[in-house]
Amino acid sequence: MNENEIELKIQALVDGELTGREAEELRARIETDAALRELRERLTAVRGLMAGAELPRTLPESGDFHWSKIAQGIEREEREAKRLAKPASGANGWLRWGMPLAGVACLVLVLSLQQTTLPDLDILFGDGHELELTADEIDVMTFNTGDDAMSIVWLDYSIDLRQDSLQLWLD
Amino acid sequence: MPEKPAYSSAEEPQLVEWAKAGDMQAFEELVARYRDRIYVRAYSIMRNEDIAVDLSQNAWVKAWQRLEQFHGEASFATWLSRIVTNLCLDELRRQKRARMDSIEAMEETTGPVENRMEMETVDPIEGLSREELRERIDAALAKLSDKHRTVIVLYEFEQFEYKEIAEKMGTSIGTVMSRLFYARKRMAGLLKETLKRDGLIE
Repeated sequence: MNENEIELKIQALVDGELTGREAEELRARIETDAALRELRERLTAVRGLMAGAELPRTLPESGDFHWSKIAQGIEREEREAKRLAKPASGANGWLRWGMPLAGVACLVLVLSLQQTTLPDLDILFGDGHELELTADEIDVMTFNTGDDAMSIVWLDYSIDLRQDSLQLWLD
Repeated sequence: MPEKPAYSSAEEPQLVEWAKAGDMQAFEELVARYRDRIYVRAYSIMRNEDIAVDLSQNAWVKAWQRLEQFHGEASFATWLSRIVTNLCLDELRRQKRARMDSIEAMEETTGPVENRMEMETVDPIEGLSREELRERIDAALAKLSDKHRTVIVLYEFEQFEYKEIAEKMGTSIGTVMSRLFYARKRMAGLLKETLKRDGLIE
């Protein structure tokens, strides 16, 4: 241990932060070293002076004024929290919920128009057939975040592709 | 529902319960009881009246928002004191960033020279009242750098352990020990200087 390390260890001992065998060894060393003993006494004295020495002060503004600022701060924070939690209304609300729904409708339309053949099953759709998917056959999840003005839509349309059921369905 | 007694005569735990239930008047009474104490802690760390007032105010707003988290493990005053101390440490970090000084860059650059200073002996002075001594200690604290004053306030007044201070200040326990040692040496030197100047010691 160099000198600086010993000083810090003695301080830790005075502060009660050094315990166990290490503390015992240091205590024994201090007893045989006058300089270390003196340092321990000085640190103990400074510590004694500092204990409870925080100077009392009075808030430099009236209690009523201080409270009014705190109350305003609380009100402001609560307003902000409500604003973030509140669902959008009016045009914002339409944009938030209407846009994803419109997106879903468009996707369903595009999918039903494109899906004229099912290649793996050799089933040809006649002119009179349309592939329609009902809401029950499509799992839709939407996620909206007002902060980022972003909407995400997940579509999962897993129809029963067994030939018999599909044929039945087409008929 | 039982009628509430006057807030000013209510016990602290009762006021806290009422405040938790949304009673602003109960919270106002808690503010009235502890506003000076919270301000003192903020001032001890920041040494700036305006900043200390602002941080005290913010601490009360945060306390209101987090009342549900207070379960009475420590006293309400201690809990509040922790909140304002954390806000002060955040503010010091913000100020350091603003000065383009990272905390790590502020590491004990002057340590080796300062550590060679002798630790002065400062005994309690006869004839000096506790109040006078406090004022001298306060004046000495004001002369310390932010990092040294903060470590003294956290250890001596806030009664954190080394490990807690290290966590709060985002540094190592070794650095905390080193800063505390230097801060104490400097405090002892400054106190001795002022006492000598006033002829209280030779």
